[in-house]
Amino acid sequence: MASRPTVSILSADGSVSGASHPLPKVFTSPIRPDIVQQVHTGVAKNKRQPYAVSEKAGHQTSAESWGTGRAVARIPRVSGGGTHRAGQAAFGNMCRSGRMFAPTKVWRKWQQKVNLGQKRFATVSALAASAVPALLLARGHQVSTVPEVPLVINSEVFAGAAIARTSTAVGLLKAIGAAADIEKVKKSRKLRAGKGKLRGRRHRQRRGPLVVYDPEVDGKELARAFRNIAGVETCSVFALNLLQLAPGGHLGRFVIWTSSAFKALDTIYGSTTVPSVLKKDFLLPQTVVQQADIGRLINSSEIQAVVRAAKGTARTKRAGVQKKNPLLNKQVLLRLNPYAAGYSKDKIGTKGLDAGKPERATKTPFAKVLKEE
Amino acid sequence: MSHSSPLVSADLIWEIARKQNAYLVKRNTQGGLRFSCDPLNLTNTHSRKHAGFVNEKAVGIVPGEKGGVTLITKKQGSAQKPSASTKTTFSKSSRKTYKSVANHVAKSGYRGDLRAHAVARASAIRKSQQSVKESPAPKLRGGKAKKAAAESEE
Repeated sequence: MASRPTVSILSADGSVSGASHPLPKVFTSPIRPDIVQQVHTGVAKNKRQPYAVSEKAGHQTSAESWGTGRAVARIPRVSGGGTHRAGQAAFGNMCRSGRMFAPTKVWRKWQQKVNLGQKRFATVSALAASAVPALLLARGHQVSTVPEVPLVINSEVFAGAAIARTSTAVGLLKAIGAAADIEKVKKSRKLRAGKGKLRGRRHRQRRGPLVVYDPEVDGKELARAFRNIAGVETCSVFALNLLQLAPGGHLGRFVIWTSSAFKALDTIYGSTTVPSVLKKDFLLPQTVVQQADIGRLINSSEIQAVVRAAKGTARTKRAGVQKKNPLLNKQVLLRLNPYAAGYSKDKIGTKGLDAGKPERATKTPFAKVLKEE
Repeated sequence: MSHSSPLVSADLIWEIARKQNAYLVKRNTQGGLRFSCDPLNLTNTHSRKHAGFVNEKAVGIVPGEKGGVTLITKKQGSAQKPSASTKTTFSKSSRKTYKSVANHVAKSGYRGDLRAHAVARASAIRKSQQSVKESPAPKLRGGKAKKAAAESEE
């Protein structure tokens, strides 16, 4: 295998600072959308708040059935008189102001247990996908102006709470070419359809870049600086979350790393052979194939050295060609009948027989013999 | 391959992004048509061959800012550096556009299979840039023509 690829560390103005860091092993994890989607569905359920209709809803009446014989349905009916409500059906889920069918309860199973191994697999898979520019583009991130993916910014830029104001944070994002992605988020802000508007989810918008930092080195001020920029999220490298790395279960979140956070990845996730320092019993999952490019595999010297030569000639059968009439098409005729070349060249067809006139039967020697007899 | 790592190939990316991606435009009519709004897609169809963001080599043709067309091609081996991964060439006016587009796309074995698509797209863009000729005023016939003639005489 080739030498381990490195990622350059960018300075505040988006230029290459000269320093670089080898690509952490976590980025070579298998990218498995199936696992990510499955884990995402489970994990996304774990922040839900219980809701239910009132226990009493639809039952706050003393309705009794009228029984048979009154030519009305036997559903419970509100007792009394003097109001329109009296005599109306009650309780049933089919009734106006009745209880709903199977009233929702707060003790529904709101949370979903997802196996830790699967959660870790999904997270490293999402991390690996965040280093593939094509997947970032497929997710809709505007990364064509970004100098490199993964995008790593020198931690010195953040040192000493240098990025503590939103304006400086915006300036940094612009300098590193992430402005287009933020602009996309701004333009995408739309009023939500439905009741969610009333429930604290008034607008919906795209997700922008995720800034991952190391709180011990970079400080926590940057989180405050970035938090009012639409679409931008911040996350500690020690608490990476699948919901942020693969929103909606779609791989390829645009992640901006600080260099200290980027360097910490190898200690956090370890490698396929070296266990993680911080996660108990965790080795990075291994890819099934080391070379995913089938074309390159086939053309590799190892494969080409052992394959035998193709049998037969290189001629391919031509399917679906028009049949040519050999009587009209000379070339096709020659293919079928090689004699035709000489036949037409010597004009044998037009020559006729050179026998001359046929001999009269009375003049033949045989006729003479007959006569003599 | 659109990634420097051997673990990620264009085929893998396509399998991941085939079902949903930001460029995919789905239509429920016409039997569920699939289009793509990828700038590096010459035919705007959602397919492996034309998916520019997936393939290592891809061609895009967009209208130029000052008329003519702009040809975008992907540079090989710089997939990890998005800001430096495309090359743009401009061409303006005349038949030379098609020649240069065809040469860029197909000569030197870049993407020979896209030559016809590229020329067709360049042609369509150039056609859209031409001003529409105004149709002449309809010629009056019969009674209307006599009336108009009489009016003009007066």
